[in-house]
Parts: sequence; C-alpha cells; structure tokens
Amino acid sequence: MFNKILIANRGEIALRILRACRTMGVGAVVAYSEADRDSLAAQLADEAICIGPADARRSYLSAPAVISSAIVTGCDAIHPGYGFLAEDEGFAEVVRAHGLTFIGPPPEVLNRFASKEATRRLFEAHGLHTIPGSEMLRDEAHALVEAERIGYPVMIKPAAGGGGKGMRLVRSARELESSLKVSRSEAKAGFGDDSLYLEKYLEETRHVEVQVAVDRHGNAIHLGERDCSVQRRHQKLIEETPSPALSATARQELCQKAVKAVSKAGYESLGTLEFLVDGKGDAYFIEINCRIQVEHTVTEMVTGIDMVRMQIAIAAGERLATKQSDVAPRGHAIQFRILAEDPSTDFQPQAGEILGYLTPGGPGVRMDSHLYPGYEVPSFYDSLLGKLCVWAPDRASAIARGDAALRELLVDGVDTNIELHRAILANQIFVDGKMTTNLLDRVGSAPFVAAGSR
Amino acid sequence: MPQQPSTRASASGATARLDARTGRDHKAISTLADDLLPALVAKLAASGLGEIEVREGAWKARLRKPAGTGRSAVRAGAEPYHAPRPAALEHARAEDSRPRPEPAEAEAEDAPIMATSPAVGVFQPRKGLEAGMQVRAGERLGTVDVLGVREEVVSPIDGIIGTSLAESGEPVEYGQGLIVIEMPEKSGRVEVGQAEQEAAAVLGEA
Repeated sequence: MFNKILIANRGEIALRILRACRTMGVGAVVAYSEADRDSLAAQLADEAICIGPADARRSYLSAPAVISSAIVTGCDAIHPGYGFLAEDEGFAEVVRAHGLTFIGPPPEVLNRFASKEATRRLFEAHGLHTIPGSEMLRDEAHALVEAERIGYPVMIKPAAGGGGKGMRLVRSARELESSLKVSRSEAKAGFGDDSLYLEKYLEETRHVEVQVAVDRHGNAIHLGERDCSVQRRHQKLIEETPSPALSATARQELCQKAVKAVSKAGYESLGTLEFLVDGKGDAYFIEINCRIQVEHTVTEMVTGIDMVRMQIAIAAGERLATKQSDVAPRGHAIQFRILAEDPSTDFQPQAGEILGYLTPGGPGVRMDSHLYPGYEVPSFYDSLLGKLCVWAPDRASAIARGDAALRELLVDGVDTNIELHRAILANQIFVDGKMTTNLLDRVGSAPFVAAGSR
Repeated sequence: MPQQPSTRASASGATARLDARTGRDHKAISTLADDLLPALVAKLAASGLGEIEVREGAWKARLRKPAGTGRSAVRAGAEPYHAPRPAALEHARAEDSRPRPEPAEAEAEDAPIMATSPAVGVFQPRKGLEAGMQVRAGERLGTVDVLGVREEVVSPIDGIIGTSLAESGEPVEYGQGLIVIEMPEKSGRVEVGQAEQEAAAVLGEA
C-alpha cells in the first residue's frame, strides 16, 4: 500500500479521497490553488500545499505543478479525482516516469481507451452492441444506400468532428440529400476534413452505465448499474440505482456482458461503461470513463463498498478483496447534484459566500459536500456544491426520503437548483421511472419548477 | 472622475513633505492620485495579478494586493504545508455566530513585502545574496527548481534584502514568502480606502 497520497483535485471529491485515505491509514496531502486556500479539504488535511494560482491551467491542470508538489511533500502516489488530469494518459506517463503511481488505469491502458471510436470497435469485438453506423460516405448514392441499411432517422456526423459541428439529424432520403452538402462544407470549414459518416439516431433514450472494477491479476467484477437519464444540456442531475429502465434479467445480462468485455479488452482500475438504452430495452455502448465518477455514491450506498478505497487498492497492485458473489446490491439509492445555479437566469453558474448551510439527516441520508458557513464559492471552477444521496429499501421510499432531505437542506448565500430537484421528484414521469435524457431540455426546466411548486 | 478621498488626502500629504519639488511633480502626483490610482485599483481588483505599477513623469505608483489575496500570501514557519487558519472549524465550533474577522484587513497594514515563490519546488537563493544588499525591482534573487526546470524568484520592488524565510534546498509552495524586502522609505506608504479591493499604494520616486 502507498505511504502518502497527493490529492490533486478540489471540492467534494478532494474531501471524499481524504476520507478514504484516513480510513485506510494512508497519509494524504491536499494540493490546492490559491482560490481554494480556505477549502474544507485543505483545512481538514494533515498536510496541504498551494500548487498555483486560481487558473486551473497553472494549478490543477498543470502536470509539473502537481508532480512537483507530490515530490516535495514525499508522496508516492497521486489521486487525480475526476475531471482535470483524471484521464490524461500523458500525465499518467509522466507521473510514472517520476517514480510515482497514478491512481487510475496505467498509462498504456488509458492510451488504449483514449479514442472513443477505437474503444467502440474494441468493445464491439468483445460482444457489446454499439450504435449502428455507416462506412465513410463516398458520395450521395452511397449515403442513401447506407442510410437505408441502418434505418432512419440517422445523424450525419463528421469523422473529424466534435462539439456538434456539421452534425445533422435527418429523417428521410429527401432530408439526407439536402443536408449532405451543408454538412460537408461545415466539416471542411470546421475541421479541414469533409469526411462524413452516418449513425443511427436513437430517440427517447435512457442513460444507463455499468460500474466495473478490474485488478491487474485478472480479476474483474461489476458493481451493478446506474441510471443517469435526468440530464440538462448533457449534464447529469439525478442518478439512481438500480435503473428503472431495466428488468432484473436485462440488468444481469448487461452487467455480465460489460464485465466480460472490459476483462477481455485488458482494462485495469475502476471504470464505467456508458450505454444508451432505447425504448425496446436494447443497450448500445457509447463510451468508457476511466475514473471515479461523481455518481459513485449511489453504488456505494446499495453495495456497501467503499469504491475510492477499492480504486486505491487496485492502483497499489492489490487483488480485488471483493468477489462477484460478494456483491449483493440492496435497496434503491438516488443522488441529487446540488449546483450553484440561478434558476431565474436559465441556471447560470453562481459564486459567492455561503451565509448559511444546514445538511439533512435521518436514515439513509448522505451528504458529500465541501461547504461550510462563511465559505466563499470561487467563480473559477464548476458549480457543484455537493451531492445529496438517499437510500431506502425501495424506489418509492427513496423518492420520499429524497424529497424530505431536499426540504431540510439549506444553502444560503448562493442560488441553487434544490427546487428543481424537488420539482422533478414530484413529476409523474420521474415517479413512473420513465425519464429520458432529452426530456428536461425538451420541456424546459422552468415548467418543471412551476408545476412542482403548485 | 470620482475622487478617492483618502488617496487624495494622502497624496497631498506626500506632496507637502516634498514642497521643494517643481510644479511638474505636483501635477504628476495629482494625475497619479486622481486619475490613475482609482483606475488601477479597479484593474487590480478585476485581475488575477498581485501587483501593478504605473509611471507618470518622474513618479511611479505601485499597487499591491494585501496578503491572503495575492501572490504575497505566506505560510512561513515550522509547518509550511499545514493550513494555518482553520476558519471552517473555528466557525463550526464557535459558540456564537459572529463573523470571523477579515484577515486581509488585519494583515494588510503590516504585511511585509516579500519575494515569493513562483511555483512548487525546491528553493535555491542566488549565490552571495545577503541581508542589507540593495536590489532592484525584477532582479533575480534565486530560483525554484520544478522537476529540473528553474523558475526565477525576483524582487517585487526596489529595496534592501531583509530576513530570509526559506533555507537553501528547502521545498516551497506556490506563493510562499521567501525573502523579505525592506523598503528604503517606509513613510511613503499610502492606504487606498474605499476601494472594493483593499490595496496598498506606494508612492515613491522612480
């Protein structure tokens, strides 16, 4: 096991990692930027070190600053948390070159899964379904044949793409014909490459992800799945487990396929395989996240497993202490991301001083947050204030506990999305377990809040 | 242009002490105090910079953010990496809910001027550097080694080398005070009140 771990992150996850280190009896140093000098993690840590200015590029994203701080404080491993340098294979490589351990997949594993397209092909070869797509389009005639084969609606996508540029949704041959030219010129202008391909467009999808853990000794397990279909602008808001979209049989099948695929593909560490599940219950693999995720908490609540601890143990070269047969998820857990956002300005991120802060309690309630009264929420980073999690024996009770906890939670000083969460819990579509990823954006968040407050 | 009362008063105080100077100097100081300083205070507050300097004729004004908000924030002492001020804990355990004092205000008055560390690494002072030596603003006083790359430690002002706060070969963190720089003329300090961002203005001959 490691002697001392540098925590190269901020906010609630820095605190979460610090807690894991303490329970393991491993030393920890919190690396912080000037804007996070007063952060809870920096204050609670036995050791903390200022690694740079508020600008993340010169602190949390600076490989030299992070590695140098690990060396001068005598750490032998670096935990990157999520975001920042968490999935940067170049960083993982340099960490190793300095004789330190990166807590996450080894650099060559990160490298193997760095390209989304290559990862999809790799997992396809190991038995996972991916969203049907075309070959590179040669011309219009070829495009029409391929679209017919895949089945409308299809999305036109630039091969070199990203950020939605050049992407077009078409529902018929006529629309395809008229859109091809525009997409081609947009792709050319945007990426200097006008290669296009088609992908089947899935409507009304659910986001379901499978949590896996693989050690370097060939042991691989899954820890069940999570449903993250409640999203706003592709940002997850509410996560729960088990997913109401899957039957017990479908869940078992998906999790087993996922763990078999990662094992065969040579993955190592904690990982999450994300799927889109369509109305028929078919799951299509979209990508793998090679890090601890924000929503790992719900899995912890139903399995009773400390996942950060598990991640650290895997990175230290230990064998998985948990066998698949030991994983017995119990009950239902829901996580609410509490964000500093102003509902009246279309959820613009907020910063400012926390004047009052009161966390909810009671059976099955967990709050992961770095807030305290008097804390100044900096404007430089993301707007996550904390994560409220509730557990109950069944989904309906979990929803009731969630609502009670949200009513108790007090965050004074900045605007938050607490009311939006309550509104979603009160919505019949959510209660029925039928939320799809596009629903909140299609309906708009405001009507939810308005309907919820009646 | 709205006046900054305390700045104006202090600037004229400084002017009175130097009444042998020419009218050109008066005008330069006036311009600094009335036009440039307020603009500078605003700019400093909005920027991530720790210090800004402007010149007008033979005069210059330097604005520095107080300790705790700028790069001059220090954690000297036996435990350089330990959080010195557990505000959250104090607050949580306090018997009443009085707001904690603003450290920036309390410290701004007496905060020494220091050459600070530009990065996390190992400090090495320049050879032959000794207390009492005169240095210029921007002069190299040593280096901080970051994974083999040497980042320069420079003097923030023209002044005299004072106490060393870090040993040669000592690991230092970003922004840590390394060497105190004494002001040749302490009486030249002027407080800029009213400004959103507390800042100390230093008037002196360029």
